[in-house]
Amino acid sequence: MATQTTEQVPTAAARPPAKLYKPKADWANRALVLWGILVFIFLFAPIVVIVVFSFNTGRLLVDWNGFGFDGYQSFLDNPAPREAVKVSVIVGVFSAIVATVLGSLAGVALARRPGKWSAGFLFFVALVLVTPEIVDAVALLPWYVTLGNWGLSAFDNGWVRLIVSHSLFSTAVVALIVRARMSGIDETLEEAAGDLYAPPVRRFTQITLPLMMPAVLAGALLSFTLSLDNTIISSFVQVQGVTPWPVYVFSSVKASLRPEIAAVSTLMFMLTLVAIGLVALVLRRGGDSSSDIARTMTGGGG
Amino acid sequence: MTMTEAPEETPAPAAERGPKRSWVPRSLLAIPAWVWFVIFFAAPVAWILYYSFGQQVDFFTQIPDVSHPNFHRYTEAFNPSYFPTFKRTLKISLIGTALCLIIALPFSYWLAVKVPQRWRGLMLGIVLVPFWTNFLVRTIGWQLILSPDGFMSSTLQHLGVIHEPLGLLCTQRGVQIGVVYNYLPLMILPLFVAFDRMDPALRESSKDLGASRWRTFTQVTLPIAMPGVIAGMLLVFIPLMGDYITAILLGCAKGSMAGQLVASQFDSTLDWSLGSAMAVMLILFILVTVFVFALIGLALRAAVRSHRKVTLVDVTSDGGK
Amino acid sequence: MTDSKEPINILAPPAAIDRISRRLFMAGGLAAGVGGAALLAGCGNDEPQTPAAGASSSSGPIEDNLEMFTWGEYNSPKVIKQFETENDLKFNLSSYNSNEQLIAKLTAAQGTSGYDIIVPTGPFIPALVQHDLVQTLDLARIPNFKNLDPQYTNQPWDPNNEHSVCKDWGTTGYCYDTTQISTEMSTWQDFLDVAMGEASGQVSILDSPDNICGLYLWANDINWMTEDQAQLDACREFSVNQLAPHVKSFESYPGSNGIPQGTFWLAHAWNGDARLGIMSADPGQWKWVFPGPRSEIWMDNYAIPTGAKNINAAYAWINYLLDPEVSLQELEFIGYNTGVKGIEPAARAAGVEMLDLIFFDEAQVSTMEAGELNSAQTTRVQISNEMKAAAGG
Repeated sequence: MATQTTEQVPTAAARPPAKLYKPKADWANRALVLWGILVFIFLFAPIVVIVVFSFNTGRLLVDWNGFGFDGYQSFLDNPAPREAVKVSVIVGVFSAIVATVLGSLAGVALARRPGKWSAGFLFFVALVLVTPEIVDAVALLPWYVTLGNWGLSAFDNGWVRLIVSHSLFSTAVVALIVRARMSGIDETLEEAAGDLYAPPVRRFTQITLPLMMPAVLAGALLSFTLSLDNTIISSFVQVQGVTPWPVYVFSSVKASLRPEIAAVSTLMFMLTLVAIGLVALVLRRGGDSSSDIARTMTGGGG
Repeated sequence: MTMTEAPEETPAPAAERGPKRSWVPRSLLAIPAWVWFVIFFAAPVAWILYYSFGQQVDFFTQIPDVSHPNFHRYTEAFNPSYFPTFKRTLKISLIGTALCLIIALPFSYWLAVKVPQRWRGLMLGIVLVPFWTNFLVRTIGWQLILSPDGFMSSTLQHLGVIHEPLGLLCTQRGVQIGVVYNYLPLMILPLFVAFDRMDPALRESSKDLGASRWRTFTQVTLPIAMPGVIAGMLLVFIPLMGDYITAILLGCAKGSMAGQLVASQFDSTLDWSLGSAMAVMLILFILVTVFVFALIGLALRAAVRSHRKVTLVDVTSDGGK
Repeated sequence: MTDSKEPINILAPPAAIDRISRRLFMAGGLAAGVGGAALLAGCGNDEPQTPAAGASSSSGPIEDNLEMFTWGEYNSPKVIKQFETENDLKFNLSSYNSNEQLIAKLTAAQGTSGYDIIVPTGPFIPALVQHDLVQTLDLARIPNFKNLDPQYTNQPWDPNNEHSVCKDWGTTGYCYDTTQISTEMSTWQDFLDVAMGEASGQVSILDSPDNICGLYLWANDINWMTEDQAQLDACREFSVNQLAPHVKSFESYPGSNGIPQGTFWLAHAWNGDARLGIMSADPGQWKWVFPGPRSEIWMDNYAIPTGAKNINAAYAWINYLLDPEVSLQELEFIGYNTGVKGIEPAARAAGVEMLDLIFFDEAQVSTMEAGELNSAQTTRVQISNEMKAAAGG
């Protein structure tokens, strides 16, 4: 029967230092490690393939024709994919801002002042999260057309449509994340500030905001990612001329895929790696352990 | 110091604090989000619900005619020729969720428990990295991998594992693989958090009391991680039921999913009333399935509980929800 | 040079008008081709060396963008690049798989679609006009219109070319992988037999309702636009219950999606797309079949949708493509007959590959039927939806 190689019964306070706690290198643990490696390979397989095929010189992405930089060259020559990436990034930033602001406020309200109203609001949030994206898409398109017919021509604008559409799901997600984070934090700090005669605004900016900042940042990041990846809703509501990247890829898939798609994806992938690295650095400096980060990003454990 | 409105719901001590306190009712903070959802979620969905009771005017008029509301579109959507598609969607989603769970459980456990503390964050980040690539591009990557003329196909043929070009593209199996791949991170994350939050003391005490590793896992670790398991399953199952893009890319005509039915009413047939009815049916289908499985889960839990001699009190959950 | 812009006044049922005008334009096309070759040879020195720049043919400055909604792989990237460079604009393309998708997009957007050029197939144009989805064309802004062979202008669906200009025309057939299929194939019945037999599960079919129904109807020598309920029911029964399970994919561009990867053995395709696919595979591996007893003749046209913003650029583009040299470049890539005078001899002289997939003789054309937007349209769409659902298994 397996026991740990520790000297005393471990309690939370008196746990032996980490380096004495070694999982035994037996078949079960080896199997787990092997499984972990296999999963990593599985997760990265298509990414590696895309990066490799970005160097394809054929007319079609799927038709390997030799190694070369044609895909990257045509990316530089062809403005359409660049435009699409630009649109996606801009829409991503703005919809993340909208979602973060709305969601954070709602999250704070849910955490600090839950009451009869919050059950209804949570139901709303749940509904937003549960509705399949295709239903959102087919609901929003006629709605935008109707709003446009009623004279609100802002909704004929591609940017407005995309930003609004992307912010819906993200707002719900951010609200839950912020709520989870704030419920775990006592109100005493804020009350103490109140006791010390700090006005509400100052209380918010100097106490509440810094406390919820990791959750807000995680929410903003998540919103940005969700927006970048949003395909179904975007393809339905988008207006020609403001085409986000996934829609561009999707229409290429239906017609003919060129290596430049893989080239652009590889470049974006590299940029993403850099961005994540920076964010992780910032969060680390802010004192959160990696588990805290993960916990925050998944809304406190589901 | 200004006096603002009294808070809607005051924690008990506040009543004693008197005029020094000045709260803005925090619940008002939720109003912008509320309004946003009403205008851009509730209203559009209600609108297509309204359309679902109408009928198509002609091929060129997209706004349906709802002057004589009826349930005909629902009868049409209930056309037996669509049943296989709904059945297939359910099948792919259930198998996909199960596979994600099977793959993610050992993986998340390993990551949260066995991997040394300082590497955990990094490895979790690495797990998420593919998820940061565009969903379509990842699936196209699978198209390339599974291509009958591709590298994997020729390697497997050389090794004698298969005797003809790889026949996974344009099949339901191909869709299954793609779906598991795309939704795996959504299962890994909540499981990781659940395992990570658990106090190792519980596992250790279980072992000290003589339980085998397997018994510790099934009777201590897993039950405590159950909320994470459920969260992961919901996070995977629900969007998966509505997904159809993976099916288009990897399944071609095979393995088409219900979302495609809804989509094609809006982008080819232009029958918005039928499409709306199908959309409503899709939501109901998902909710009913989740409900049924929740009931099954509760029944199972009751059965297990009555069998178990010891019920663990969950000392690690921190009421954070 | 006079161009025949008077409407063809013939007292004949619509279907016959299609056939008559088709015969006329093919016959005329051959004659014009021969005559045109002489003309081209004689005029060779007068042609400008570079394709005509757009600026002179539109009545305003060319805008910065041009948005086109068209079929897939339907324009030579080189030509697009040239046009972009010469006019200093950004040219964006989106694509669709069928006319139904085009109409769905335009109707849903109601003038806000953002597209400046669309490419509908002929028979769909009257409906687009009727629903105010396309603009009237000012042919004075397309001086190169005179380069179009008159037999491809003034079609029954758009008399006087008030709303559209011919882009190209082609037909439907299929191609098959000779290394996998040993049967010699030449008719639609062969296609159906092999699809349900030797090539079961390796077949792709065009993702377009009229073509989907055409498989059964043509194999049984029935006009594919039939409105006869019994025939349509038979078509539905066969397509949904018998053919559907053998279909691997509904793919409108197998030449790019499927043939190069070896995903299919038998592909239902339009001639130009089949040509692209065949050229991308090993030489001699794939064989094209122009099947009997009937097939399709379709003509795709450029039209300007209502609400288009970059109108000058749109006119400039249409005019640009009607220049004979540019037209030849287009033809070399897309593999469809662009309808410009003298294009066939020019293509021969330029050594364009696989001419038998681009140009067709009188005998072949006489078996081709045009499409129509008639009362059977809804039924055809339903049949194709049901077939897709049945193929899903």
